[in-house]
Amino acid sequence: MGSSTNSLIWIILGLPLAGSLIQALFGKRVIDSMGVAKGRRVMGTLAVLPIAIAFVLGVIVTLALSNLAPEARSQIVTLCDWIHIQTLNVPFETLIDPLSMTMVLVITGVGALIHLYATGYMGEEQDYSRFFTYLNLFISCMLILVLANNLVLMFIGWEGVGLCSYLLIAFWYKDVANAKAGNKAFIVNRIGDWGLTLGMFLIFSFYATHAGEFGAPKDGRWLSYDYILPAATKLILYPDTATAIALLLFIGACGKSAQFPLYFWLPDAMAGPTPVSALIHAATMVTAGVFMVNRMHVFYELSPFASAVVCCIGAFTALFAALIAFGQTDIKKVLAYSTVSQLGFMFVACGAGAYWAGMFHVVTHAFFKACLFLGSGAVIYAMAHNQDMRNYGNLYKYLKITAWTMLIATLAIAGFPGLSGFWSKEAILGAAIGNQHAIAQGINLGMISGYVALFVAMLTAWYMARLAMLTFFGKQERWRQIHPHHESHAHHAAHEHAHTHHGEDVFGFYYTEEEMARRAADTPAEHHHELDLNHEPHEVPPSMWWPLVILAALSAVGGFLLHNNEAFRNWLYPEGKLAVLTQSVVPGEASNIPLTLYSIIAALGGLTIGYLVYRKGLPKKEGWDLNKWSPFRKWAGNQFGYDAAVVNSGVEGGGEIGTGIWKILDVGLVDGIVNGIGAVAMGAGRTLRKMQTGYVRNYAMSMTFGGILILAIVISVFMAGAK
Amino acid sequence: MPPSDELAKLTIFGALAGIAALAAVGVVVSPNAVRSALCLIANFFALAFLYFTLNAELLGITQVIVYTGAIMVLFLFVIMLLNLGAAHLLREPPDLLKKAIGILLGLVLFGMIGSQVLRPLATITATTSPDDYGSPQAVGRALFTTYVWPFEVASVLLLIGIVGSIMLAKRKI
Amino acid sequence: MVPLGAYVGLGLFMFTMGMIGVMIRRNPIVIFMCIELMLNAVNLTFLAFARYGPVTPAKAVVGTIPHNVLQTAMSGQVIVIFVMAVAAAEVAVGLGIIMAIFRLRQSIDIDEMSLLRG
Repeated sequence: MGSSTNSLIWIILGLPLAGSLIQALFGKRVIDSMGVAKGRRVMGTLAVLPIAIAFVLGVIVTLALSNLAPEARSQIVTLCDWIHIQTLNVPFETLIDPLSMTMVLVITGVGALIHLYATGYMGEEQDYSRFFTYLNLFISCMLILVLANNLVLMFIGWEGVGLCSYLLIAFWYKDVANAKAGNKAFIVNRIGDWGLTLGMFLIFSFYATHAGEFGAPKDGRWLSYDYILPAATKLILYPDTATAIALLLFIGACGKSAQFPLYFWLPDAMAGPTPVSALIHAATMVTAGVFMVNRMHVFYELSPFASAVVCCIGAFTALFAALIAFGQTDIKKVLAYSTVSQLGFMFVACGAGAYWAGMFHVVTHAFFKACLFLGSGAVIYAMAHNQDMRNYGNLYKYLKITAWTMLIATLAIAGFPGLSGFWSKEAILGAAIGNQHAIAQGINLGMISGYVALFVAMLTAWYMARLAMLTFFGKQERWRQIHPHHESHAHHAAHEHAHTHHGEDVFGFYYTEEEMARRAADTPAEHHHELDLNHEPHEVPPSMWWPLVILAALSAVGGFLLHNNEAFRNWLYPEGKLAVLTQSVVPGEASNIPLTLYSIIAALGGLTIGYLVYRKGLPKKEGWDLNKWSPFRKWAGNQFGYDAAVVNSGVEGGGEIGTGIWKILDVGLVDGIVNGIGAVAMGAGRTLRKMQTGYVRNYAMSMTFGGILILAIVISVFMAGAK
Repeated sequence: MPPSDELAKLTIFGALAGIAALAAVGVVVSPNAVRSALCLIANFFALAFLYFTLNAELLGITQVIVYTGAIMVLFLFVIMLLNLGAAHLLREPPDLLKKAIGILLGLVLFGMIGSQVLRPLATITATTSPDDYGSPQAVGRALFTTYVWPFEVASVLLLIGIVGSIMLAKRKI
Repeated sequence: MVPLGAYVGLGLFMFTMGMIGVMIRRNPIVIFMCIELMLNAVNLTFLAFARYGPVTPAKAVVGTIPHNVLQTAMSGQVIVIFVMAVAAAEVAVGLGIIMAIFRLRQSIDIDEMSLLRG
């Protein structure tokens, strides 16, 4: 692979960054000068183009890479020196290998489609170019994450995507709830980052202190993958350290990939625009955890205990989130919990030792989840921005393209035989149940997780069928029962638009009359068209349904094409390569005929149950009257109380602790000392002041008395022997 | 020294000292301010004579002229002025506690210093200074040679005193 | 001859009486007079020592210093002259103050002059 193809990687990295800068610096000016419609067309094209070109270049690089022999598919391209302190050298370097290029293709490919969709979706929103600034910045940060060759650069990308996630979730920041959701995402991510940084520190310090047996890197690149990963084979002598590193890194993955206990930011993140949910919280950012586990799979191979933990948490999260999804009525929330659940599947695969299966599911999940999110965005767009499924029904009649694409994606996620989800779930379940890797205390937790995952597969099919039936089918068009200005059906959480008061805005700023007029003029005409019984849904414009079609097609055939003859597995983990321990090969799946049968039964069974329960429309037990809901469904819909508990103890509790410490230490101790000194001084002054009687004779008397005292001292001390 | 001479000296001293002491007590004790002033004048006179017995002639005369002649006259003028304005003000209400403490402190002071000073000095009877040390010539010589600088400063001090008292006496500054 | 102790004793007595007077009396003019009494006591003591020469105590507190007898005599008198001069100036100013206070307050009870009370 020539150096010219290698340097393409810098163009791939630089294009989205350049796009972001162009949007930031020139966006507003262009839109103002060319007028809203034309200006937005220009800026939208300028937003999609870098990603699309990056995709094409990514394909070229991948093809060039695949022409190399499997052992050579690991190209390191260095741009420049970055940190160079004595013996530590951390340059800007990228690693071009099958894993990173797979991710690059997914990111730029699916990303470009979502950008295209967003140009249509955000067409009537304010701050058009700000949106694409953030979106392009996100793509560039994600690319840095996957292409980095050392831990530090990866961490830059890791933090960068966290930042962009925050910026994009809180895009409509004027609504305080959105800002809070953004905060939540960022802060919970930070908790995960704590684990990740500790893991990185442990790697560095352990390797550095044991440089004698591990061997030092010849050019001081202690944190680069090409030093850490091969040298990690020596960690077989230190299983506890390997476990510790693996678990710490996994904490970071929990935060980023929304596993229990750090998942609860993802449902709130649906406050962002739908393209954001599709790109970040379905296809790319949340898969960064899985990518990282794949990158660092050596540590997981060395530690069966950590792998068992990963498996269990993955399985538990999958089950937990699937149950919660049954209690949701907001279409985006169902998809959010579905994402959390599917991420659990990916971690089950990684824990079981079949890391390639986790990546496979990442790819197929990107296809069908993005399709589902974009489709839901189309439905929301068509239904005047109303997100509650209880208002939908029989939309198949009006939104044909959306319905077909979403149906294909639903079947894919459910694991309908032949579609992409089927192949990836097969791989996961096969690996989990068949492998002997995730063993702790003698119990094959991988196998148990596999069976749990099988059950969850059935649940997935069921709740996705629920979503599809409630939205598209059933003879009832439930929104026809909404009377105009029916306030009880409005949802603040679902309302995605800014809300300004006159005079004082939500944050307590006061504006002058001129400023208020200017802001009102800037706001484009809002769709005060609420959803009511006269609403006629229309299909979305082509810029929005073309990505749906492409993604649906990929959901359908992508899995088969990738999995044919184990192509994907051999691409990522060729036979014999990257075998860490001489006696264990990165395990594949056990071809287990009864297992395949079970999973087909689970998928079809779930779909059938969903169809049967919801074919007549919305059951009374899930309707508007919350009292008719079963207690389990209500409890599930409330995240089983987890979110409330964490927020109460963490946020409120933290606040209490802070206030308590402030009261004791700051007010009591510090202020007490300072004020106390003042009080003492004042008290002393007040007492001593009484000596100033103002009477001359008193002063004379005290002077005499003092004189006598001094005389006495002089006489007794100095003249003692004078007599 | 013939014994009668000694006796004479002692007698003179005793008389003068007695007058001075009694006058001092009179200053402090008499309730009437005029009487106090007159007692003080008697005290000053006695002191002037005592200075004469000490051969400090110039100072003795100066004591009479300056102290009794000027200062006490000034005192009496002021007392008379106040008497004219407010006779009743010169009577003082009694205050026993302060009196007791004052007398006590005074006695303590007398006792402390006296115990140290009086007994050693009671035996010294020989004078060592030249007999004409107190003559105007001698004092004048000292004042204009060794002590001329403090002398000039003292004259400035008197000037300040003059200016200050004029300022204080004016009704409008 | 009259012992030095007699003169010094008289001076001490007058000083003590003056001090008692300052503390006891309430009329500021009489207080002033007592201050004059004290000053005169000091004058007497100075002159007594000037006449009787430098006195070395039975046990020297500091090392023996050669004293010039004439210097002692003359300096004793010069101090007295200056004390007289200062006393004169002080009386002039002090009585002026008393007059000013009397003009202002129509009272000369020293216990009523307590404006500087803290």
